[in-house]
Amino acid sequence: MFSDYAALIVLLPVLAFVLTLFFGKKFPSGGAALPIAAIAGSFIISFGIFLEIYPHGTVQQSMQWFSTLNFGILIDPLAVVMLMMVSFVSLLIHIYAVGYMSHDTGKPRYFAETSLFTAAMLAVVLSDNILQFFMAWEVVGLCSYLLIGFWFHKPTAAAAAKKAFLVTRVGDVLFLAGIVLLYVNMTNILANTGFSLEPGNFMLQFKSMFAAIPYIAPTQLTIITLLFFGGAVGKSGQFPLHGWLPDAMEGPTTVSALIHAATMVTAGVYLVARTFPMFVEAPNALLVVAYVGGFTALFAATMGLVMNDIKRVLAYSTVSQLGYMMLALGTAGMVLGAKAVGISMFHLLSHAFFKALLFLCAGSVIHAVGTNDLREMGGLFGKMKITATTMFIAALALGGFGIPGLHIGTAGFFSKDAIIEGAYEYGHVTGDMIPYVFSIIAALLTSIYIFRLWFMAFSGKPRQDRHAHESPKVMTIPLIILALFALFFGFSQAGFYGYLETNFELMGVEIGVHEGEALHPSTLILWLPIIVGVLGLVISYLIYNRRILDMSRIVTRRNPVYQILLNRYYEPRLSSYVIGEKLTHGVVAMSGEFFDRKIIDGLVIDNIISRTLLSLGDVIKKLQTGVVRNYASVTLLGVGLLIILLRIGGM
Amino acid sequence: MSLYMYLLVAAIIFTIGAYGVMTQRNGIKILMCIELLLNASNLNLVAFSSFSGNATGQVFTLFSIAIAAAEAGIGFAILVALFRVRDTINLDNINILRW
Repeated sequence: MFSDYAALIVLLPVLAFVLTLFFGKKFPSGGAALPIAAIAGSFIISFGIFLEIYPHGTVQQSMQWFSTLNFGILIDPLAVVMLMMVSFVSLLIHIYAVGYMSHDTGKPRYFAETSLFTAAMLAVVLSDNILQFFMAWEVVGLCSYLLIGFWFHKPTAAAAAKKAFLVTRVGDVLFLAGIVLLYVNMTNILANTGFSLEPGNFMLQFKSMFAAIPYIAPTQLTIITLLFFGGAVGKSGQFPLHGWLPDAMEGPTTVSALIHAATMVTAGVYLVARTFPMFVEAPNALLVVAYVGGFTALFAATMGLVMNDIKRVLAYSTVSQLGYMMLALGTAGMVLGAKAVGISMFHLLSHAFFKALLFLCAGSVIHAVGTNDLREMGGLFGKMKITATTMFIAALALGGFGIPGLHIGTAGFFSKDAIIEGAYEYGHVTGDMIPYVFSIIAALLTSIYIFRLWFMAFSGKPRQDRHAHESPKVMTIPLIILALFALFFGFSQAGFYGYLETNFELMGVEIGVHEGEALHPSTLILWLPIIVGVLGLVISYLIYNRRILDMSRIVTRRNPVYQILLNRYYEPRLSSYVIGEKLTHGVVAMSGEFFDRKIIDGLVIDNIISRTLLSLGDVIKKLQTGVVRNYASVTLLGVGLLIILLRIGGM
Repeated sequence: MSLYMYLLVAAIIFTIGAYGVMTQRNGIKILMCIELLLNASNLNLVAFSSFSGNATGQVFTLFSIAIAAAEAGIGFAILVALFRVRDTINLDNINILRW
């Protein structure tokens, strides 16, 4: 029964967007109730569909758009878990935002934009064809731009929004190129080989794409998947397009939690998971996914160590965790087949819960002390017990704390250990241990930076005498709910993997699921992630709480390593100065100006042609009255005459 | 509904737009009237395309809409710039290029 209303999942938030945008001012608290109700509706429908189709069903609806393209809905296990997560997290964050944004005058605009964002994100998730996926993907990017620049009167926010838009655009262009190349290939094989679409199927639908895989030349398939991955790199902030995500923290914290932690940035991972059958047939592309993901996980974690802005630490953490998800798709995809999607998506979901929670806690802290700078916080534990406790839970989840032998732990423990074990399995089978080493070092750094953040914010003595206070209930209750998920979501692991494993079989694609002998690795491998996690916690405790190790000699402007990390590997300078100023302005724009000024103008002006025309112009210019309306009337009159003449001429 | 109803609506919109372009002095109003002219022709294209079962007209309209958007963007940018310099967008006063 719920399946018939699947389209409402998207349409309800769209409706809320329109109503809030135009009438938000007339409702209490900027019309927040409308998006909250709409998204609650989306969540209820998503959940109802989940109950209906569990364990082996899908919902497929499609209508023709034009020629061989369509609009449609595909809700399979992969989509339905994502739908529930997006609508649920979005719902909690909207409720939280009622408290967080209560002092802001732009509330109707805020709630309208987040509502549109939620609609677009849900549309990404339930698209049944890659073109519709791309369109929703672009709307999501637009909302991200609008919300990063929500406080557009701040120049840094406006610049960050622009950067986010331009950098993700690089990825989007690659993605679009991939779609075009896929379309060309599909047209070719439809004309030249025995491949044909089943009746009722359309060209760019995912199931048609998967059915066409055996007919596409392997090199073409590799290029297509790499271009798709290019889009994912842009959206998910993977190296080298990661720079926009930390800057995006200029937006409201709720936006960071919703868009730049839980949902939009995971769209890239979702894209790779969605088109996973294609990636599996292109092992080279999968290898790129693994390495980019693994490198990003480590690379971003190093920068997270030194940031002083509480949100930037979390932003680098997000980039790093997204790297883990890519790493899972790449490494586990290579050796475990379809199981990789389950592993990656499980981390995606548990990450969505605990990272949204971390951001909302950070928002609660910022709301209380009025600054983002960790160095000005401290000693908040006594004043903000709920925030501090829930944030500690989230930090435990991010650090992946749990007990391997007993199968007890936080959500992050189950999801992250599976990724690290997958990377180990990959190393075991292929002999290439680099992704595994990356993932272990990144796990250590993760634990260090997140507890550094926690100790700096909540323990010790207050470094500033602000009257910090616990946030109102409307903010703390979402925190508590998310904390429960961060604690207990992990226990759904076995069921989750089983549910997602069948996903591509439902779509008519066979991907081998290898159980892999080494998936039951030695005790040391099993315990290593938790050992490095605890090690990180201890290191942070000694440095930032007990202050046993004196960091002041290491953390100085003179230390080149610290300098590089603090300057984020000079990536911002590279993109704004080298690419922006030198390349775009200096080379491209200046050479264009030279061509225009010297060559075009030089040839036409100052010669006999121009002088004759000028003197002729002196005579004719008297026709110009300078009144625009005269010109318009004469033009219309002329067109009218022309039509009459054509009629007379018998056309 | 017959094709003529669509054409009639388009013709009415076109006439309103043409009237506006010829009589208004405010730059913004003129730009809005030009949009009306464009959309009337878009409507015609879509109507013909739909009734003849040929998608070309619709594709053409999409291009036309995109170009109209660019045109409106540039037009309004010019008007904003003009307003900053001359403190007016009454086009009757903008005639220094006259001879």
